[in-house]
Amino acid sequence: MKKVLEKIKMPLLAVTISLIFGAIVILLLKKNPLEAYSAFLQGAGLLPKANYGGNQNQLSDFFVFLDGTAPMIFASLAIVISLKGGLFNIGVAGQMLLSGFFATILVGYSPLPGLVAKPIVILIGLVVGGILGGIVGYLKAKFNINEVVSTIMFNYIIQYTTSYFIQTSFVDPVSRQSKYILSSASLTFKGVSAFGVKLDISISFFLAILVAIYLNYFLNKKKDGFEIKMVGLNRKGSEYAGVNVEKTIIKTMVISGALAGLAGVSYYLGYMQSIQPGVLGSLGFNAIATALLGGVNSIGVIFASLLLTILDRGSVFMSSRLGIVKEISGVITSIILIFSAISGYIGLKLSERKKEER
Amino acid sequence: MENIIEIKNLTKSFPGVVANDDISLEVKKGEIFALLGENGAGKSVLMSILFGMYEPDSGEIYIRGEKINEFSPQKSTIRGIGMVHQHFKLVENYTVWENITLGQEIVKKLGPFNFLDNKKSIEEVKALMEKFGLEVNVNALISDLTVAQMQRVEILKMLYRNAEILIFDEPTAVLAPQEIENLLATIVELKNSGKTIILVTHKLDEIKKVADRFAVLRRGSLIDVRDVENTSTKEMANLMVGRDIVIDTVKEEANFGKTVLEVKDLSLKNNLGVEKLKNINFSIREGEIFAIAGVDGNGQEEIAEAISGLNRGYTGEISLNGVDISRFTVRERNLEGMSFIPEDRQNTGLIVDFNIAENISLRDYYKDEYNKNGKMDKGHFIDRADDLIDKYDIRQGRGPQTIVRTMSGGNQQKVILAREIEENLPFIIFVQPTRGLDIGAIEKTREYILEERRKGRAILLISYELEEILALSDTIAVIYGGEILKISDSLTQTEIGEYMTGAKR
Amino acid sequence: MERIIIDGLQFALPLFIMAIGGIYSERSGITNLCLEGLQGFGAFFGALAIALIGINNPSLVQANGFYIAIIFAMIGGMLFSLLHAILSIKYRANQVVSGIVVNLLAVSLTEFLTRQINSTVFGAPSNKFQLGVLPRHNIPVLSEIPLIGAFFKEIYPFQIIILIVAVLAWILFYKTRLGLRLRSLGDNPHAADSQGVNVEGIRYFAVMVSGALSGLAGISFAYSISANFSPAIFMGFGYLSITALIFGNWEIGPTFFATLLFGFARSGGYALAKALKMEAAFTDITMTLPYILTLLLLLFFSKNNRSPRALGEPFDKGKR
Repeated sequence: MKKVLEKIKMPLLAVTISLIFGAIVILLLKKNPLEAYSAFLQGAGLLPKANYGGNQNQLSDFFVFLDGTAPMIFASLAIVISLKGGLFNIGVAGQMLLSGFFATILVGYSPLPGLVAKPIVILIGLVVGGILGGIVGYLKAKFNINEVVSTIMFNYIIQYTTSYFIQTSFVDPVSRQSKYILSSASLTFKGVSAFGVKLDISISFFLAILVAIYLNYFLNKKKDGFEIKMVGLNRKGSEYAGVNVEKTIIKTMVISGALAGLAGVSYYLGYMQSIQPGVLGSLGFNAIATALLGGVNSIGVIFASLLLTILDRGSVFMSSRLGIVKEISGVITSIILIFSAISGYIGLKLSERKKEER
Repeated sequence: MENIIEIKNLTKSFPGVVANDDISLEVKKGEIFALLGENGAGKSVLMSILFGMYEPDSGEIYIRGEKINEFSPQKSTIRGIGMVHQHFKLVENYTVWENITLGQEIVKKLGPFNFLDNKKSIEEVKALMEKFGLEVNVNALISDLTVAQMQRVEILKMLYRNAEILIFDEPTAVLAPQEIENLLATIVELKNSGKTIILVTHKLDEIKKVADRFAVLRRGSLIDVRDVENTSTKEMANLMVGRDIVIDTVKEEANFGKTVLEVKDLSLKNNLGVEKLKNINFSIREGEIFAIAGVDGNGQEEIAEAISGLNRGYTGEISLNGVDISRFTVRERNLEGMSFIPEDRQNTGLIVDFNIAENISLRDYYKDEYNKNGKMDKGHFIDRADDLIDKYDIRQGRGPQTIVRTMSGGNQQKVILAREIEENLPFIIFVQPTRGLDIGAIEKTREYILEERRKGRAILLISYELEEILALSDTIAVIYGGEILKISDSLTQTEIGEYMTGAKR
Repeated sequence: MERIIIDGLQFALPLFIMAIGGIYSERSGITNLCLEGLQGFGAFFGALAIALIGINNPSLVQANGFYIAIIFAMIGGMLFSLLHAILSIKYRANQVVSGIVVNLLAVSLTEFLTRQINSTVFGAPSNKFQLGVLPRHNIPVLSEIPLIGAFFKEIYPFQIIILIVAVLAWILFYKTRLGLRLRSLGDNPHAADSQGVNVEGIRYFAVMVSGALSGLAGISFAYSISANFSPAIFMGFGYLSITALIFGNWEIGPTFFATLLFGFARSGGYALAKALKMEAAFTDITMTLPYILTLLLLLFFSKNNRSPRALGEPFDKGKR
């Protein structure tokens, strides 16, 4: 228990400071921060609203909220494992887009029944993301090409290429996005009638929780996970211990890419049902905040994802209720990220002081 | 000649070691003064204090009769002290003249801009080079220079800032023989133009060639200050290593078995093309402690990395119990029967952010027997770590789950020792096994090493403590400049000292 | 053909000035991934200035709006870059993370403030600030020359300003004492420090320069692409200029050609698509060219690491 408390000290501090910041801004806008924050929770289905539209209630809001959290969990897991391996995968957004794209065009419009289509969608997510990650890892291991640089390049190549193909072959003239996928391929059961309302039941969310738990197990109990952590901490020491460093780097990126791929299919073929061409999406980048806030820990990012998705999803409702522009959620998220980034420094300073006192 | 530097009762300690113990000495203006001593004697620390990088705990330093109250490299530069460090501080993609003038550039002011006066800068640097006979191509990029040329740039940096006192810290460690000649000639030139030189070195022939007087440091204390002219290299070597060494550890009678390790014609070039090892040949038998003696930087690190497999860019043959392991990986060598306790315990031998149990497992974690059902048997290593913590008296805060980073250097070393010794393999390499350990731990470690010898293991011991080598080894090989100069089981301390310093070949 | 040169140049020059900012920062040792956010924030700040000043001084804005916008854009970019500078230098944060942070904050903050200010001050929660159309001119005499004349046709005023600033920046970088010291920091800050150079101070300066120049680029993009500030300013051009400076090996001269190349690739793509009567979407394919080229370049040259030696390492006086 003590260990858990120790670990959540810094993230808790970061969140608290950021919420205070946000509260100040809200006050400056002459609104009540408590009202605003509870509106966030209402929007995410964690608190009841005053009234609901037809077919909706707190439960349905909550289910949509879970649906929206799933991609974030996957994306931040992708970043977690790359960081554990000493790498920085900021190409999650591009990896998501590419896997979402392939899943959409290969299965999204096909007549395959749901029972077959959905597993294939998941498979495509894993494979496409994994291959892309593997390429990045290979470039790093063999050619020493910095993964931050190569993933930025790939992000844009993917963004433009998929945009072209969507706009020329798969576009829906009304929405100007890719055509909506068939529900058989969707990883979310949209509009299921239950308990008197329509629920969006998300397979991805449960999958995400399972994957997070497995990743935690992988990193702590599996030999390959152990080696990934070793290389991330100390390359020379890993060589001494006999680890094949190059192979491990590639392995790390394959896993990271595969997780990003899952984020992609759960986002574009689950939470959303189409792809907006030419846009990378901010989720892949916000996942960095989630990963850091979650203490770069597989279980921690579940909670961090929930929190940041509350901010994201809740902002729409909060905005309509209080008239504050919904983008304030993005501001608060960024501030959380700032403090998470500094927390490393603060943590260092605190431990230095402890050493002196000893 | 008056004294340009006076050091009075200077003491400086770091956690666990007294680096300089009540040292008093004077350096005369215009002389070449050598500072002689083994590794860890305290020479570099003393000079670093003089150059303002550290502050002494007690004692006083006077430069030209003025007491130093503030210690910083900037202040030292203003006082006219310059230092050529072992690790150069040069901007690689700048030219020679840019490096020299950086921080004190020659400029032409035009409006708000301070324009670099390239022409004038080059002229001044060239003039400086001519004045002191230190020629290097002014426009060459540092990255294109040889090490000797880079060193010249470092010297020029000092002269550009009008340094009167020039400190050279082991300057010839990185040079080839001809370059050493050039440097020594330069040093004499500098003296002739009125500079005072302090030469920190362990190479006696160089002291003999250029120095006027020399001081000997041993284990932080000043042993003596003598004139070079009246002292032979033999005497110098004796002063450096001392004659009164107490050997505590009792060694049993030798009982050697068959040959375990054989090294044939081992040669190695580093990535700048410099030969670091030249045709090394030796063999080690069961129950034998084979030690390589020498001053740090003469090839020991390279031998350890080559034999252990961390660096496989060598030519030559290595065989273990008859098996040719020359192309084996680190892990394969370990499986074939080799344990290795490296010099850099924090970066090579341990993953400091892991806990004790995880570090204990580094050699075995991947084996099938510890990965049944695909899951790592962490419990096994926790138990093993528990046992070893008791057996080797490893001080830690939280048992096997203590993060190694939080442990003291000595206890970190015990983790490595425990792991490697417990493997019970036929061949072990120990590099600096007692560095940073307290007296009790040093004694214990030496007992372990002798115990392994008793069990019939072949042991390669690389140490910079001559006393340790004399206490433990059966056979001693002395290394100097990448070559093994002598292998024998009956060398006297004096002889070893002479080989170590290149006085005898 | 003329169209390609004119449009390409209009795009390349803002890209170039932003890349110069990136070079300043990275050559001083500070990784700078936030050009994207800085240019966007700069554009926002400049547009905001015009909008607010225009309330009480409409004639001032009419006459000199452009200059007001540029000045405030550069100030805005410079101020916002302080965030990255403080995080990276004072708090020794991971500079990649810090750069991404600044980008995220820029996107969310500018959108939030734009809507909120529009709503509060102007009554309508628009996410845009209008800038007004900028006139273009042909440079007399030079634009008459056949072929090359195209380089001097339909020039926006910001192109001239950018060129002047670029030349000044080049002079400062390569020819002055400050520039010499700055460039040493990306290679060996310890050497510079031991020779009396103010490592932290110059690094702050370098990052702020990148902010100011990015602001200039941002407002130029805003004027030339859409005549307003909107969230669309975050098109990824910041990352494109980072790509350009990598392609240009962190030197100003080669980076100029890299940006020209990228600019012409873009305008060439448009022209090609039109000529072949392909869908406008085809330009997306040509837009990938700069990134693919740079990847190939890195593939063949990354073994000899070309980036500044000390890039991204926080300066720790204690270490040696």
